[in-house]
Amino acid sequence: MANTTKQPIHTDILCVGAGIASLSTALALLRTLKAQGKSVPRVTIIDKGRSVGSHVLSGAVIDPSGFKGLLTDEEFKKMPVEARVSKEAFHMLFDATHAMRIPWVPPLMQAHGYPVGSLTKLTQYFAQLCEKEGAEVFTGFAATELLEDNKGRVIGVKIGDKGVGHDGQPKSTYLPGEEIYAKVVVLGEGACGILTDKLIARKGLEGRRAQSYAVGIKEVVEVPANEARTGEIAHTFGYPSDWSTYGGGFVYHVSPTQVMICFAYALDYARPEIDPHLLFRKFKAHPVMAEHIKGGKSVAYGAKVIPEGGYYSVPQVVADGVLIVGDGAGLVDTLRIKGIHIAAQSGRAAAETLAACWNSNDFSLAALKPYGDRLKKTEGWKQLKRVKNVRAPFSTNLILGVMSAGCAWATFGALPFWPVPMEPDHETLLPLKGGKLPAPESVDASPTSPDRLTDVFMSGTIHDEDQPCHLKILDRATCTKCIKLYGAPCQRFCPAEVYRLEEGFIHVDFSNCLHCKTCQIKDPFKNIEWTFPQGGDGPRYTRM
Amino acid sequence: MHIIVCVKQVPDTANVRINPETNTLMREGVESIMNPFDEYALEEALKLKDAHGARVTVISMGPPQAEVVLREAMARGADDVVLLTDRAFAGADTLATSYAIAQAIKKVNAKPDLVLFGKQAIDGDTAQVGPGVSEFLNVPLVTYVKSITVSDGTFTVETQMDEGVDVIEGRMPAVMTVVKEASAPRFASLSGWMAAKKTAIPRWGAKDVGAAAAMCGLDGSPTKVVKIFAPPTKTGGVRMDGREEPSAAVEAILKALQDKGVA
Repeated sequence: MANTTKQPIHTDILCVGAGIASLSTALALLRTLKAQGKSVPRVTIIDKGRSVGSHVLSGAVIDPSGFKGLLTDEEFKKMPVEARVSKEAFHMLFDATHAMRIPWVPPLMQAHGYPVGSLTKLTQYFAQLCEKEGAEVFTGFAATELLEDNKGRVIGVKIGDKGVGHDGQPKSTYLPGEEIYAKVVVLGEGACGILTDKLIARKGLEGRRAQSYAVGIKEVVEVPANEARTGEIAHTFGYPSDWSTYGGGFVYHVSPTQVMICFAYALDYARPEIDPHLLFRKFKAHPVMAEHIKGGKSVAYGAKVIPEGGYYSVPQVVADGVLIVGDGAGLVDTLRIKGIHIAAQSGRAAAETLAACWNSNDFSLAALKPYGDRLKKTEGWKQLKRVKNVRAPFSTNLILGVMSAGCAWATFGALPFWPVPMEPDHETLLPLKGGKLPAPESVDASPTSPDRLTDVFMSGTIHDEDQPCHLKILDRATCTKCIKLYGAPCQRFCPAEVYRLEEGFIHVDFSNCLHCKTCQIKDPFKNIEWTFPQGGDGPRYTRM
Repeated sequence: MHIIVCVKQVPDTANVRINPETNTLMREGVESIMNPFDEYALEEALKLKDAHGARVTVISMGPPQAEVVLREAMARGADDVVLLTDRAFAGADTLATSYAIAQAIKKVNAKPDLVLFGKQAIDGDTAQVGPGVSEFLNVPLVTYVKSITVSDGTFTVETQMDEGVDVIEGRMPAVMTVVKEASAPRFASLSGWMAAKKTAIPRWGAKDVGAAAAMCGLDGSPTKVVKIFAPPTKTGGVRMDGREEPSAAVEAILKALQDKGVA
């Protein structure tokens, strides 16, 4: 074959993952150096999704503070987000029918005037800006391995092979993954990044508390046109979460005909019978929510985990040859569940450091270290610190959580001053009550309440089915134990119906996978390993 | 050997929906891709290049953003590409499109050895442009090609027919349309993409290829779209449950057929 022998590729700055964090790094770096009249490095950005933005998912109500100094005023105005928040509400949902509208929106959550729209489109916009500045963006290429020299310094990445059959044998289209070498690798893989987490574990970069996550499940609903509601948003708390699980949802009217609706559920839940997709459907059926999507039709679907550990779970963000930016470092404000602006700020902090490195041609660990300090000076970091203990008490009790949020607001985050402990998400499941599953609840399908597989179809996800299964079940014997003890919770926690129990055997329909990583996080025995499928496979979000 | 491959950028029809009021395509959230059949045509060309050495030129006609499919072709191994783009081509039907592409091919090379197309494009599904070009070039045409071998100015192809495979031999030049039963298209490597992204893509208009205005675009298109409509949704039909009493169901079916005058 003509294209099987390849020279290694060399670049200066290599960003893994074309999300807001990586793109902000590239954009700020190139602009900073140009403003200084300096030469610019070659900046290469790769992403495993088929196109830019096809693997990102967010609300998104965007805190615009993150883009200050990064985008020009004109660029900020031209952002492809259709609406600005014009009306906000905050509801406490008590049960399937009862709710209370909180008379005021909690001060730390106000978002009036914030842009609201699709993160996919925003990401595509950022990529265009980067390309204009001379960065190269390549999609459909998964970095599957960090390359290190013999001193343990990261010197590049290896791209995953393509054209490998289900039996692991090369097919006629076999294309071995190339190696890319760089002066520094910027890891912007997003939440639960596989390379990032492996690096953190290998180098002992962990934060003070294990990262914890929620899974966010989202649909775009097309509704009969209603100009007046554009920009209206509502957040909820409570139902259908139970009182000891952090869960909430939102509905955003991003255009007269488009509503984004999402429910996020913390993965430290205890009951193995929980099915987050079912909770999402119950959430949409609640009168407070149903009213927003009445007469509509769900047209797009996606799911992604959100790092919720906050301040205490942020790892060290610098290692030899590598910087970690954005969600991959857990940089999310855990009260507002907002990370886009912090991703952008972390990118800028990284860019300042990299500009200095480039100018002095010194990318040593010592020269990279200042990124960590710069990150701590960002607004986003201060927000993270202020709400550092808001999330943890919610795992015990909702009221305790609300009190801690109030406490954080009143004391500017000073209290409580110790890291409230949290259990890792995979350790929180309790055995099935009485050893068997309660009868499954059923919900009637409707245009705004499609079943899980219809939703999976609408995510556009697709994987070449003649490739090795990328979701590895490490030990089948453990499955047997898990089925008995927890009733195979993978069947329910996966929002894409990848796992199916039939006659005692767990089937893995990996082509459904949304790359959300819930399975890797929540499996009680850590028996599922998420590996990279062929680059370009996975969801094809166009307006998430 | 010089092989010319013609490719088209199409909407990814897996995601296309029809606006029920205007009966037009809803493009929101729909990606554009290289027409899948054209990928197979390109692969056949690249395989011949691997085996015998050949120059592979890829031509596309479309709006400026169609450039991306040409870059993809380069990333996979095409040697050079041309984008035919001009307002004068707008509204072209299959005849005007065939004419414009044939003109472009003549400009690239008056005597190419092979001109390859996908069997049809997945948007219009006409399968007429490949054959149209062969007429304009006055070169023999082979359709439904699934494999190509060449030697000494002759070709041997297998064509996928409904009831089996035909083997056809002939002398080059020839125009061929390729089916999905051909070899799986190769992936573009990262270094391939890196090179392709840096290449400037030549853009040719009607004048550049010496196309007569009267034969381009709407003016050159005898096809007129009178009406666009969505086909009526299929109704469920009548179900006869024969699980309890099969003979009663059979009788009911026979009666229904007789009533319709079928049996």
